[in-house]
Amino acid sequence: MSAALQLDNMHKRFGGLVAVKDVSFALTPGEVVGLLGPNGSGKTTVMNMISGALPSDGGRVRVSDTDITRMPPHRVARHGVARTFQLVRPLPTLTAGENVLLSLAFGHKRHWGREAQAMVEEKLAFVGLGGRGNERVGNLTYIDQKRLEMARALASEPEILLLDEWLAGLNPSELKIGIDLVRHLQGQGMTILLVEHIMEAVRALCSRCIVMSAGEVIAEGGTQDVLSRPAVIKAYLGDDHA
Amino acid sequence: MLDHIVNGLVLGGTYALVAMGLTIQYGIARIMNLSFGDTIIAACFATYLLFSALNVGPLLALIVLVPAGYLINLGIYRVIMKPLVTRAPDDGALEVDSILVTFGLLFVIQGVLLTIFGGGYTSYSFLNQPIEVLGTAVAANRLLALGLSLAIGAVLVAVLYRSRWGMILRAVAVAPQSAPLFGIDTDRAARTAFALGGALAATGGVVLSMFQTFTATGGVVFTMKALIVVILGGKGSVPGAIIAGLLLGLVETFVAAYVDPGLTLASVYAVFLALLLVRPNGLFGKA
Amino acid sequence: MKPIHAFPLAGAILVALAAAPLFVSDYWTGVLLGMTGYVTLATAWALFSGPTRYVSLATVAFFGVGAYTVAVLNETLPYPLVLASAAGIGAVIALVVGLSTLRLAGVYFVIFTFGLAELVRQTVSWWEVNVTYTMGRYVFLPFEGRHIYWQLLALATVTLLISWGIGRTRLGLALQAIGDDETVAAHAGIDVTRVKLLLFVISATLITLTGAIQAPRWTYIEPSIVFNPTVSFMTLIMALLGGAMRLWGPLVGAIPLFFLFEWLSVSFPDHFSIILGLLFILIVFWMPQGVLAKIEDLRKGGRT
Repeated sequence: MSAALQLDNMHKRFGGLVAVKDVSFALTPGEVVGLLGPNGSGKTTVMNMISGALPSDGGRVRVSDTDITRMPPHRVARHGVARTFQLVRPLPTLTAGENVLLSLAFGHKRHWGREAQAMVEEKLAFVGLGGRGNERVGNLTYIDQKRLEMARALASEPEILLLDEWLAGLNPSELKIGIDLVRHLQGQGMTILLVEHIMEAVRALCSRCIVMSAGEVIAEGGTQDVLSRPAVIKAYLGDDHA
Repeated sequence: MLDHIVNGLVLGGTYALVAMGLTIQYGIARIMNLSFGDTIIAACFATYLLFSALNVGPLLALIVLVPAGYLINLGIYRVIMKPLVTRAPDDGALEVDSILVTFGLLFVIQGVLLTIFGGGYTSYSFLNQPIEVLGTAVAANRLLALGLSLAIGAVLVAVLYRSRWGMILRAVAVAPQSAPLFGIDTDRAARTAFALGGALAATGGVVLSMFQTFTATGGVVFTMKALIVVILGGKGSVPGAIIAGLLLGLVETFVAAYVDPGLTLASVYAVFLALLLVRPNGLFGKA
Repeated sequence: MKPIHAFPLAGAILVALAAAPLFVSDYWTGVLLGMTGYVTLATAWALFSGPTRYVSLATVAFFGVGAYTVAVLNETLPYPLVLASAAGIGAVIALVVGLSTLRLAGVYFVIFTFGLAELVRQTVSWWEVNVTYTMGRYVFLPFEGRHIYWQLLALATVTLLISWGIGRTRLGLALQAIGDDETVAAHAGIDVTRVKLLLFVISATLITLTGAIQAPRWTYIEPSIVFNPTVSFMTLIMALLGGAMRLWGPLVGAIPLFFLFEWLSVSFPDHFSIILGLLFILIVFWMPQGVLAKIEDLRKGGRT
């Protein structure tokens, strides 16, 4: 069975700084994998290279055997990859419903008209924003904007979902709702790459983890195992605690 | 051939001078100032007035006009630009707003100049005697212009790269979001940068008026060329502006001499187009 | 107003406007002509620059190209072909500008368009002087004011229909998204560069045709006549005053400003640059989204 998402020797430099160095990993279809590491380890850069927001300087990205390396974001989206952004970016002059409609209209199945309207409502309801399609984005609370972000990503009807710290900044009850939502998606067979700092979520959702530090992969394996390795603890907390 | 090189460097030196001002305004204050060229022309006319009415030579005129350029632009920043900076949600919105506002300002300045001085070509005679340089005769005023441009450029680079104040300005250009974390008052830096850009524009105007005829509607072409030099040299880079300015001056002079004087603007645009296709961040910008 | 009421109403107004030259003096036909021209320019400008926020300062470059093409070809080709050629040339220039700048940040586009009119003017002048050995061209088309007016009215209607039509389709949504956040738009599957390019070419072609149709107003055409920077400025201020993001915005801005412009050029010919410049700055400060949006805000309770 071919990998849903495969990265080989990904490389990225910004001027003199090597942000990502020889990063390789693969996700099998339906897996939820955590991409962990302290701030500045290059996780978001890897996400950006997969989604097309940043061109890589070397290496290869494949989605189910299709090479999407260095493709612009709109083509990556058409190959079934969707993402959320670390800092929520709802489109301010569009309503909540229009935000979702956008992905439906330009995703790889291109819906429009009445059929699309029904799907907008369905996506909004899934994330808990049912019936609020006409609301202005500026009036939504932070968690509601996060929900919208997820709805918009799901409206692209992806096979692979990249969640970039989607659960950050939530209070305990909101966190539980968020985790349940992701679990639900997993139940539907979605392949998910989760960049996260919240260990509770990682332990609850990810069967496997990849840990990065200073641009390189320093550990990979089952969640429980990886999180107790000295090298990983050291990367997060510094030498004293290893 | 040699006199073309010298003339090219003189023209280029002036371009470098004005582009330094614009790159500081755009790179540090983040204002895309489309009325920049008109500020230069206003300084040209002011020099002309001082010279013909009060017999004050351009070098003395600098003493008055450079601080005037600084203060007037400081005022413009405070009254017109600052509110836009405050209300802009991001850099892109500020850029659009500043483009629109300075576009309007361009017409205001141009209108004022047209009303006072009319639409004709103006010039005055200063230091017109030829001087022998490397076997070719060059007008003394052009040599003076080149000397001034290089001297001021050198001083500016020294200040920007050697003084603490210069480091602050560069920090704001490179990392505007992080600068406050280092205790830098970005508003003050932006204000100062905008005013400094204005002072450089005034200097450019004085220098230019020494050897070039000018007209009230000539600002647009100047702004355009300055913009292209800024992009060529990399947004916010003063050394880049100097080198790119000199280069452009040489290209233009050679095209005028060996191809056709009517195609100078087209050649400048051709350079711009080539740059956009190959290295949009400029010769010295981050690739 | 629902489309079912709006369309017949608009149709009735259109018929009235078309019939006007039969009842009013030549002077007023000329006024209607000028106004319709600017309504078209402003609406076509806003078609692209409104949603994408890529400010085009090249309106008169395309306008002039249209007029000058007619001046050059009017004795060689039949009129419809002349118009088609003008449109074609405008589209090609727009493609060159677009392909080189639209995949980059907005500022490059602005810089390119800022000097484009001057560049085209100088290049045309050079060509005429050195290659074709002419200075100035004559337009010998048998059009009176009313004929030009009717053509412009048709073009204005087409432009408004295009603007209205785009607003109702996927393309309109894509445009709005691009103006809000290009990265998000791209990740939603929108080929941002292609959309921008398409809209810019459409907008530029409409502007070129406006110039082409108006060419017979000047029997003698020289580059300096048709590449007048005031046209770019007026188009911009009209679109902004009414609101560049609204269908009727440019029209609402064009009508009063056109009258103001006419009055100023008679009463204060030396100062209208200054007055309009100040007015423009005020608009950017207090009504950046235009009058229509401001009114809407005030009705909603005064939140800006």
